[in-house]
Amino acid sequence: VTSGVAQVEIEIPSRTAYVAVVRLALASLARSAGLDEELVDDLKIAVSEACANAVLSNEDADGDAPVTVTWTQSSDGVVVEVGDRGAVYDPTSTAEEVDSQGFSTRSLMSSSLLKSLVEECEIGPRDGGGMRTRLFFGR
Amino acid sequence: MELSLATRAIAEHTVLEVGGEVDVYTAPRLRERLVELIDGGAHHIVVDLNRVDFLDSTGLGVLVGALKRVKAHDGSLSLVCTQDKILKIFKITGLTKVFPIHGSVEQAASSDE
Repeated sequence: VTSGVAQVEIEIPSRTAYVAVVRLALASLARSAGLDEELVDDLKIAVSEACANAVLSNEDADGDAPVTVTWTQSSDGVVVEVGDRGAVYDPTSTAEEVDSQGFSTRSLMSSSLLKSLVEECEIGPRDGGGMRTRLFFGR
Repeated sequence: MELSLATRAIAEHTVLEVGGEVDVYTAPRLRERLVELIDGGAHHIVVDLNRVDFLDSTGLGVLVGALKRVKAHDGSLSLVCTQDKILKIFKITGLTKVFPIHGSVEQAASSDE
């Protein structure tokens, strides 16, 4: 697609195994859209962070709703939206949790990656429940 | 792409070679292996990331957790990484100040850190 707006929607079961599927699909879309390889790498990480957050958020809420991923590409760039139906949380919280074995639950590192790798990143409640992450990658 | 894990010993160091993709799905396997090694007495660990194609915050969380565990035994955990795209992740998250990062396994194993 070289002109106009193109949209692709992907819905995955809320399982960690499917995050790689989204990553591969979106990397392929990004290359087709002519994004350079460094931006493709950044996008893969940001999308994985957002999808991991979505799956884990569903798990926290004992929910089994699918995770929805929408890719919208225009002349300005690419918008990726990831939505879940999990617990609503404060994305600005800086509390780092550590589990019983001393392993970090990664939320701080995840948010610093999202902030650094993505031109614009918005995380907030989703209409109808759950959380929505919107990522914008400019050309 | 799957995660691959292989262990070998160089002098007093245990080298864990990681290959493939470390994400929210595969990171628990990396974590289990590191816990096994540390609980089994390996307290000087070198994690070779040169064959890693993808790493996100779940992988970073595992490495930070493993570092804390070896430190509790007065041990060390250093990384081997020469790939810019992986090093970038450590720089963004400030972890280049936390982990000794070397250009080769030999360098890492001969370092006192």
